[in-house]
Amino acid sequence: MQNIELVNLFNENLFIADLKATSKEEVLGELLDLFIKEKIIRNKQIVMEMLHQRETLGSTGIGKGVAIPHGRTTAAIDVVIAFGKTDNGIDFNAIDGKPVNLFFMIIAPPNDDENKYLPALGSLVTILKNDKNRKKLQQITTYSELISILSGEE
Amino acid sequence: MNKELEALITLQDIDLMIEESNEVEKLGFSITGCSELEKAREEIASRIKKPLLFRYERLRAKLKRAIVPVKNDICLGCFLRQPTSIGAKGREESELFTCENCGRMLYWLD
Repeated sequence: MQNIELVNLFNENLFIADLKATSKEEVLGELLDLFIKEKIIRNKQIVMEMLHQRETLGSTGIGKGVAIPHGRTTAAIDVVIAFGKTDNGIDFNAIDGKPVNLFFMIIAPPNDDENKYLPALGSLVTILKNDKNRKKLQQITTYSELISILSGEE
Repeated sequence: MNKELEALITLQDIDLMIEESNEVEKLGFSITGCSELEKAREEIASRIKKPLLFRYERLRAKLKRAIVPVKNDICLGCFLRQPTSIGAKGREESELFTCENCGRMLYWLD
């Protein structure tokens, strides 16, 4: 997936530069609340259940301070990504055991005819494997800075 | 929300997760809890009455997705408009409705 296509899945109103959450559960809840507020999803409980089940399959904390909670749910209509950041690392059972401070939540619908979900997930992993990108993301305070980094402009 | 509808949605969400777990693993995610997820699936399936569970499995085998979202009264499985009369009830999430055209079970998003 091209960076521009990935960027199009983000939404300015699904951006938190300073998460209030202090636990894994709270992070999931705080990011999910953005989807509710934006009326992207209607039933928080269903999507939260899906995210919990996804964590059962294996932690979405991919290491180096990054987590990408994700999944398809019948309660969504399109692929949408929320971003959250905290200066204080949160225990997310990440694969390296280290605290996480960058969170990307991807919610996808059951039908995905345009095949956006897995390519988006893959592109995000590639971007976040890059040390420089992660360092830059840890410094951002605005949505436009996030988009600049993800689109490769910065 | 209707408990069986809720269980069916969770069941389908888990099935989609299992279906794509290999591809997700290839992207670099750690997939270690397949057996735990299978157990969770069994537990959720046990909450659904057998005839309904059978219908779910049959629809999944035939149409891939047994439950599909409805937006603006359109079934997103076959894109047929649903009668307005069932839309209001569907949004209450208290009953399970089926698309008269494709037979999939419906979940109202709006």
